[in-house]
Amino acid sequence: MRGTILFLAGLTAALGAGWIAFPKVLYRHSPQPVDFSHKVHAEKAGQKCEDCHAFRDDGSFAGIPSLEKCSGCHAAAMGTTAAEKNFIEHYVTPNREPEWQDYAQQPENVWFSHATHVKRASMKCETCHGSIGSAGTLPAYRVDPVSGYSRDVMSMDACVNCHWQKGTEHSCLDCHK
Amino acid sequence: MNARYGMTIDIDRCNGCGACMVACAVENNIPPAHAGANDRKGLTWIRVYKVDNGKEYPERRSAFVPVLCQQCGNETPCAHVCPQQAVDVDPKTGVVGQMPERCLGCRYCMAACPYHARYFNWWDPAWPKGMEKTLNPSVAPRMRGVVEKCNFCHGRWHEARERAAANGLAASEPVDYVPACVEACPAGAIRFGNLNDSTSEVAHKSKEPDSFRLLEKLGTDPKIYYHSKRDWVKTIAEAPRPGAGKENVRG
Amino acid sequence: MTTRRDLFKIAGGAAVGALLTPAPWRMITDGALWSENWPGIPRPARGEIRAKFTNCTLCPAGCAMKARCVGDQPISIAGVAGHPLSHGALCPYGIAGHHLPYHPERLLSGAVEDAAAAIKKGIGEGGRIAVFDTRPGRTASWTYRRAMASLPGGLYLRPEAALNGDAVDLSAARTVLSFGVPLLDGWGTPGNVIQARGNFRLIQVEAIESRTAAMADVWLPTNPGEERAIASLILNGGMDHIARELEDGPVLVLGPEDWPEIVELNRKYGALGRTIVSRRDAPVPDTWKDAAPEMEWADAAEGSIRVLLIDETAPGAYVPWHSIETRLSRDAVVVAFTATRDGYARHAQFALATAVFPEALDDIPAAVDSPAGVFRLSTSMVPSAAWTIDPAMFIAQLAGIDAASALRDRADAICRSARGNVFHYADQKSTPMKAMKADAFWKSLNEGACWIDDLDPKAHAPQLVARAATRASNVSLVETCGAGLVSPLFSKLHEESHVRLARHEIALNPAVGFCDGERVALQTDCGRIAMTVLLDPSIPPGSIQTATGADVLDLCGGATGAKVVRI
Repeated sequence: MRGTILFLAGLTAALGAGWIAFPKVLYRHSPQPVDFSHKVHAEKAGQKCEDCHAFRDDGSFAGIPSLEKCSGCHAAAMGTTAAEKNFIEHYVTPNREPEWQDYAQQPENVWFSHATHVKRASMKCETCHGSIGSAGTLPAYRVDPVSGYSRDVMSMDACVNCHWQKGTEHSCLDCHK
Repeated sequence: MNARYGMTIDIDRCNGCGACMVACAVENNIPPAHAGANDRKGLTWIRVYKVDNGKEYPERRSAFVPVLCQQCGNETPCAHVCPQQAVDVDPKTGVVGQMPERCLGCRYCMAACPYHARYFNWWDPAWPKGMEKTLNPSVAPRMRGVVEKCNFCHGRWHEARERAAANGLAASEPVDYVPACVEACPAGAIRFGNLNDSTSEVAHKSKEPDSFRLLEKLGTDPKIYYHSKRDWVKTIAEAPRPGAGKENVRG
Repeated sequence: MTTRRDLFKIAGGAAVGALLTPAPWRMITDGALWSENWPGIPRPARGEIRAKFTNCTLCPAGCAMKARCVGDQPISIAGVAGHPLSHGALCPYGIAGHHLPYHPERLLSGAVEDAAAAIKKGIGEGGRIAVFDTRPGRTASWTYRRAMASLPGGLYLRPEAALNGDAVDLSAARTVLSFGVPLLDGWGTPGNVIQARGNFRLIQVEAIESRTAAMADVWLPTNPGEERAIASLILNGGMDHIARELEDGPVLVLGPEDWPEIVELNRKYGALGRTIVSRRDAPVPDTWKDAAPEMEWADAAEGSIRVLLIDETAPGAYVPWHSIETRLSRDAVVVAFTATRDGYARHAQFALATAVFPEALDDIPAAVDSPAGVFRLSTSMVPSAAWTIDPAMFIAQLAGIDAASALRDRADAICRSARGNVFHYADQKSTPMKAMKADAFWKSLNEGACWIDDLDPKAHAPQLVARAATRASNVSLVETCGAGLVSPLFSKLHEESHVRLARHEIALNPAVGFCDGERVALQTDCGRIAMTVLLDPSIPPGSIQTATGADVLDLCGGATGAKVVRI
């Protein structure tokens, strides 16, 4: 009896550690360099996703906009927030690219084509990127220091599941480089 | 319809300049030789061999034969033996894709490949300081301990597919693109295209009487067709490795 | 009291529990991912893919190039299809030319102040100054000539001009008789030779079965060093079967040097004015016309030069050092402007580091196989480092002349001439020069274009000048790119495949008795160089094949014969 209790005690402790404590300690939180609000830009500035996250002429995706894009409007302060002031002072004026941390950063050997998914398959940004586009602040960047990837990165399973459902690409080289 | 990407290589036009070898290394982020590298430990996804008619000087005549992965279509030997399923034959292009990220480095595929077209990373890649700025973002660099080989410039194929998607073309349409070696060859000896497209240059040339394939009798159904008007060059096709007067017995 | 058994029970429970949580499975996956992110494996930079156009400066051909860039950084190079001169072809050197700025053997900085002081002292003491330019005809060459005209007694020296500066019109030839010239392996403009190949029959007279001999229509194997004798024989009526071919249509005769026999054969078979034509240079501003004349180095008096400035930045003909040295005075100061340690830097007191391709803006004069004059720029695709010296600016400053806008001034002069056409690389369209304004022309040149002159209507038949043979006759030199620096990726062609001879490799017939990989020395009266043997049955037992390099040319230039000795 005593043995069983001890066993179960160990079991419970391990379960608690593994399910509750482990996720908490595994990830390191890292703030984004600028407290950017998608909501403000979508509503007040009337912008759509494509205005900043655009396709180039050759079909490649420009991803996170460069400083040039932001400076186009924010050469001078457009509002009164501290975040904007901070941005102009530390990035626009010294012409320094913000070191954005990419939630969706894939390993080097992965090839992902936005054109195929957005233009051909007409997928919505929210399907893979969630509600980040309508949030008032950027979610915290949680990175796993052992693997080097963010908590929100899509795993191969997530991609493959959708592909199987839709009956598309099956060959390794389709997505790997 | 599925594509079968293939090549025709005109041996009578090849002068052995090596532009294809250098262009391939540039495109695919292949590092320069490590200090201990020799011609058995190098990384040469495409390699130009010098072959000859077997006679002594001055009756000796030479030719140059570029050899790369032949993209075997029938019972692809390397795909067959890989314990990791790191080799994947794509039915819609016919390309035999090598996945270095899955490879565990057993080199069974290197033994199985009758064309010696697979190469092992004996060392981690190293580029002189600053030269890493010239790396191609379309191709991932490999670490040591994995096998790599020609994938018919999958990086360029990806970009062509993306352009096609952006231009509204259907996914089932095979895309037009040019691998680095084909683009680099100053003599135009290497041509690339879809063998399943009967109007393509490669489909025509592959059917000419002077076209042949390497080690045809093995039945690997390779997609690289060589071409030469010289009879002695055609007999080279049956040799285990072009240019190896003595077969490599050191392993 | 807690016993050991208790601890085992707890541990057992913890172990089972742990396996039922994501933790261990996650750590295994993370470990695998960690092992993929191997430190030291670089991640290629990402960014917008752009195209930049330029022309190659690594050899006199100046082939047109299209560079694929990530942002502003070139990552690969290809030819420009449809180009009237290069036809989209490049050679292995050009294809990896964008690696040169990062070459580990690149010459870094140099004692600029000391060199300047030594030069000043030399001139100040009344010594004669001379510039030796390995690739004449550039705009920088004109700057040197103008500078030397501004300094008392200044001389502008150049290597001997092949074919006396005339051009070859390969498209006009029906038969080409070549005495060991690597016509199909790097001669002229590769794209032009390949394009013209179908129009002529090539007879290659050569001891070894070189790449050109292997692809020629007829290969005439000779004994090593007997090529001149064969030429003489043909000239004097021997070798009927060859002579008959030569009588039948426009002929071009080429030799490694302008031997008297070559000159005579060309004259006899009517090459002058047909396959060898005179070519006018691209126009220059009128104010430049009083520049110092071009002088061949051999015409400078022995022991007469006190200060010698060598511009070796644009690879061209290399004159062996022992020949140049005879022109120097006892207390001469030699300054080499170069990016490599392997050329004249070995002999100069001061080696000042310059920019390499594709860092510097420069122009490339017409190649030997372009019947029309040309003007094309090699654009600055990546910035030069701050410590690099621009020899043209240095020498202009020395002479107190203004050459800062020399390239633009020359482009304007060409525009004013209203001759010729401009071929634009981006859209592969041609515009007549007379339809373009100066600003638009300059913009085009910097974005990728080539000006091609009209053929000279007043062209006279050229006069060839016979030269004495200077090189060791039993040594066959495989041309390597004269730049001295080649991309580290050339290991693919050298140690990783041996498909091309590397520097300090020597190819010998197996019958001679050396072993593959043996260390030997190539020896002449001028000295010896350590080499590694590669056995090659295409080389006859009496011949030696090795790759060109400044040190090899120093060794073999002016020597009667070379031999291989064990060390």
